[in-house]
Amino acid sequence: MNTDLNIVGKRVVRSDSLAKVTGEARYTADLRLPNMLVGKVLRSPYPHARIVRIDLTRALKVPGVKAAVSGFDAYGIKWGVFRYTQDHAMLPTDKVRYIGEDVAAVAAIDEETALEALSHIKVDYETLPAVFDPIESMKDGAPQIHDEHKNNINIHVHIDVGEVDKAMREAFIVREDTFKAAGEAYAMMEPYAVVASYKNGFLDLWMPNAGPHVRAKALSNLLKMPLNKVRVRHINSGGAFGGRSEVAPADLVASLLSIKAGRPVKLVLSREENATSSRQIHDIIATIKTGMKKDGTIVAKDYKVIYNGGAYSSTGPIATSIPFYVYEECYRFPNVRYNGYRVFTNKGIRGMYGCHGRAFLAGNEAQMDLMARELGIDPAEIRLKNGLTPGEVTATKSKITSCGLKETIETASERTDFKKQWAKRSRNKGIGMGCVAIMCGFPMGFRSGSSCYVKINDDGQVTIVTGLVDNGQGNESMVIQVASEVLGIPMGDINLVCADTEVTNLDPGSYSQAAAFVGANAVKVACENARKRIVAIAAEKLGVAETDIGLKDRMAYVVKEPDKKMPISWVVREAFFRGDPIVATGSFFPNIDFEREWVSRPWGQMAGTFSFGTSVAEVTIDPETGKVTIPRFTAAHDCGCPINPMAVEGQMEGSILQAGVATITEGNLWDKGHLLNPDLLEYKVPLACDMPEMDTIIVSSRDPAGPFGAKEGGLTVRMNAYSAVACAVANATGALFEELPLTPDRVLKIMETKKGVKK
Amino acid sequence: MILPQFEYHKVQSVAGAIALYRKYKGKARYCAGGTDLIPLLKQRLSAPAAVIDLKGIDELKTITRRKGVLIIGANVTLFDLKNDPIVREHFPALFQSLDATSCETLQMRGTIGGNILQDTRCIQYNKSLEWRTSRGFCFKMGGKACNVVLNAQACFSNYCSDNAPALITLSAKVRLKGLKGERTVDLEKIFSGNGKAPFTVEPGEVLTAILIPLKKTEGVYEKLRVRDSMDYPLVDAAVSMAGGKARVCIGGIGPAPRLYVIKNMDENTIRDTADKAYADAKPVANTTISAAYRKKMVSTLVKRAIKRVLKEGGR
Ligand SMILES: Cc1cc2nc3c(=O)[nH]c(=O)nc-3n(C[C@@H](O)[C@@H](O)[C@H](O)COP(=O)(O)OP(=O)(O)OC[C@H]3O[C@@H](n4cnc5c(N)ncnc54)[C@H](O)[C@@H]3O)c2cc1C
Ligand code: SF4
Repeated sequence: MNTDLNIVGKRVVRSDSLAKVTGEARYTADLRLPNMLVGKVLRSPYPHARIVRIDLTRALKVPGVKAAVSGFDAYGIKWGVFRYTQDHAMLPTDKVRYIGEDVAAVAAIDEETALEALSHIKVDYETLPAVFDPIESMKDGAPQIHDEHKNNINIHVHIDVGEVDKAMREAFIVREDTFKAAGEAYAMMEPYAVVASYKNGFLDLWMPNAGPHVRAKALSNLLKMPLNKVRVRHINSGGAFGGRSEVAPADLVASLLSIKAGRPVKLVLSREENATSSRQIHDIIATIKTGMKKDGTIVAKDYKVIYNGGAYSSTGPIATSIPFYVYEECYRFPNVRYNGYRVFTNKGIRGMYGCHGRAFLAGNEAQMDLMARELGIDPAEIRLKNGLTPGEVTATKSKITSCGLKETIETASERTDFKKQWAKRSRNKGIGMGCVAIMCGFPMGFRSGSSCYVKINDDGQVTIVTGLVDNGQGNESMVIQVASEVLGIPMGDINLVCADTEVTNLDPGSYSQAAAFVGANAVKVACENARKRIVAIAAEKLGVAETDIGLKDRMAYVVKEPDKKMPISWVVREAFFRGDPIVATGSFFPNIDFEREWVSRPWGQMAGTFSFGTSVAEVTIDPETGKVTIPRFTAAHDCGCPINPMAVEGQMEGSILQAGVATITEGNLWDKGHLLNPDLLEYKVPLACDMPEMDTIIVSSRDPAGPFGAKEGGLTVRMNAYSAVACAVANATGALFEELPLTPDRVLKIMETKKGVKK
Repeated sequence: MILPQFEYHKVQSVAGAIALYRKYKGKARYCAGGTDLIPLLKQRLSAPAAVIDLKGIDELKTITRRKGVLIIGANVTLFDLKNDPIVREHFPALFQSLDATSCETLQMRGTIGGNILQDTRCIQYNKSLEWRTSRGFCFKMGGKACNVVLNAQACFSNYCSDNAPALITLSAKVRLKGLKGERTVDLEKIFSGNGKAPFTVEPGEVLTAILIPLKKTEGVYEKLRVRDSMDYPLVDAAVSMAGGKARVCIGGIGPAPRLYVIKNMDENTIRDTADKAYADAKPVANTTISAAYRKKMVSTLVKRAIKRVLKEGGR
């Protein structure tokens, strides 16, 4: 830890805590604008059907209804993250492709009226055969979901490095297993909500989002409106986890209704709609083949991974790639082949998830343990042996700069007495370890960087303006803390204006782990530029060299003679006098290879840096019921530098629950196209009482490019906690899992029929 | 999801409740804590003209002992009942079932009467109107088929009260007051076995009290669930024992709990009871966990519960 830091690295109370714990913080559903209407959506009852006709006339006659829209009121534009994935009209006019798809909508003076009006919308459908399983969907003759995609293959990511087949032939031990996992639900605390207000040619929008600028851009395209007329405003967000990254059908619906009605429209999804009709997570089938040398060195990996992509592309190419990358960023693979297929089915829309890829990642880790055991090597050793180290380059040519993987493995092992516990496993008790690395940011073209404006106000208080957005993880507080450190002004004196597309500039958003590494870096640079101005005036006034000036507690002082000082507010006023107020800008653009493309060129520098982490789960299994409990969980995370250790620990703890405990409880269940658990009773998010005893360990590898050395605040745990649990269950049972979640019925089955070890 | 329109009445007496019920010609529902009823209304699984709130009836809120019987008012909350010293000392199976019911927040709101009379559940049933319309109405919603079991002739929804099975092992009776007067019946007799309409309670009858013979028992409640903090039972087994005789009750599978009486406890009777309970259990795929597994767990839980009673007396 840098000892010369006053604020950064300290356990400060987050700037948003008070408003949140007192209920004062406003969320989208809390907004009340004058004349605001209530929006409601009519959804498809069919998984696949041609839309013959949509008749809104009777709905419009219901007293109190002010607008009704269908896709025929939109502009025929389809959305997609990439040019080659533009297939989502949001309000379709050709056919519906999943149950719960938005078909038409009304805006009325209250919810009852809106519901009544929905019942008067007449939609004629011609039902079509539907397909729900990706394997079925890829077969010849399966129902075609999008005309352009043969065999319903939406995306195929193909990576081939080295000579996989040859390496497999030469390997001492080879194993191939297939792992499945049910897709998860984001289950954010806040069901999706949008307020759209169209006035004087301007459209103002509030909604939970993980990137206001990309959201505004998508809507400007969909609505054929100039970008400056679409303004996404700041609002608190009740969780995202990847599920608020992309433009949502509700955004388009609320906007069209507001434009039609000339009044603000609020559209709040029910918990069930949030599950059926906002994004969910991919179900995955991962076939993993690994070749190892006698000493445990991994010589080759061969992957075939199938992602059930639901009805539209969404973040398709990214979702099809990320599980692979977070793994290859962690381990050394001299020869590796990855075939990732994202397949369309008539299920709800899917996006990226903070815990994305559990079948793949947990499968890799559990299989590695089993192979290592055969070779007489324990899990910690095999990970140390194959783990990347600073300066190495990944299989797809990303250079690793700072890397605390080794420290995370070692500390997590020491704290849990891992080697000993692992060796003395019993049928009812196991311990397991999971590792992963996470890219901090990824290629998003000119949107990959962030910039910040700072102004120092006449009383010495500060306003910082940045495009950065907070989804609940504490990004706002983090950048205030950074600014406070640089400027020597208490956090309470700093106002933040963020996530408003009208006044802020581009920022990569909070879905690629770029908020600290990129967003906070830009804030730091801007504040350093302002600081230089303050220091220059203070040095002049105090009669010392600029290098002798320090800033702390609202004061500029002479470092060697701390009694010699003046308030920063005096400096600021002096600057005003000089007609040159203290304002500054700063920006940060990460070192990424922008030639890199997810499908066409999957190599080159992925991100400016990577975080690393190791989780260790200790499980007990009820041998009669197969029920798993997790009494203790240890996570070590290399976040570069904890700007606020308490916030990093909070992220780690949340991740232990959301990824770790979820390994035994969470998974979407389907009856063909019907989601069977679109509620929080049957979709089993672990609650506070389900928390294990947790030990969170922060490792600081001090990234050379990160702000104060910081990288990201805890995502590794979201992507290795399930591996730790799966490995612990494998340790206890001596067999691999076939499918996640590890519900008691499945665990009992594992115990009853151990999978044999293949050679 | 907003509630549908209905008239709301809060009554002060059982007679007042019954009179109102009569006035609405049966198109009314009683409400105690509302934790089961309100979600049903929101999902449009019930559309009464009126909701008659029983929470204001003081006589339903007391726990008294009379002539060797513990009389528990229907409106006593699960939480208060759990913390009653008599329950803890005399009826360990009930204490454990109360403690395993949902979470403490719900226990503070939910009543024992409402808990007993909660509707049966099914993963295809407890859904919004839109969801169910898309799926097609099943027997329990007035449709012509079961959406879980092809060609079924009946509804297999599950009765998920944690506490009724425990009460049944304690030989509890319920007192009902209705349009035709008052009656007291064995708790296990109020179940029709029909998932569509699981209770034999007459329209308009108010459950006023639960009566338990006041004698010390040893007992255990075993509940299987995926999420410990809050979950309905996937299958459960209650056992209460006194004087070498035991009553075992299985819940969570099908529309009615099933009672098994053991006259002489020994190794064989444990196995026989477990086998019989296993054979009788007909779970179907209407929860988050497979039916075959739930069936298997019937005998596992029965054996475990009885063994625990014998070993630790349920403490
Ligand atoms: C999230 C959640 C989790 C749950 N988990 C569990 C669980 O794990 N285990 C479990 O057993 N239950 C569970 N429940 C069900 C819960 O509703 C009951 O446990 C609760 O005790 C019901 O009591 P209440 O007073 O709220 O009933 P209400 O909702 O008020 O009533 C339930 C039914 O009984 C009728 N009724 C109520 N009182 C009377 C009376 N005196 N006379 C006649 N009719 C009456 C009502 O008309 C209604 O039909 C859960 C419920 C929720 C919402
Ligand atoms: S068991 Fe069948 S009939 Fe009964 S509620 Fe479920 S789907 Fe409906």
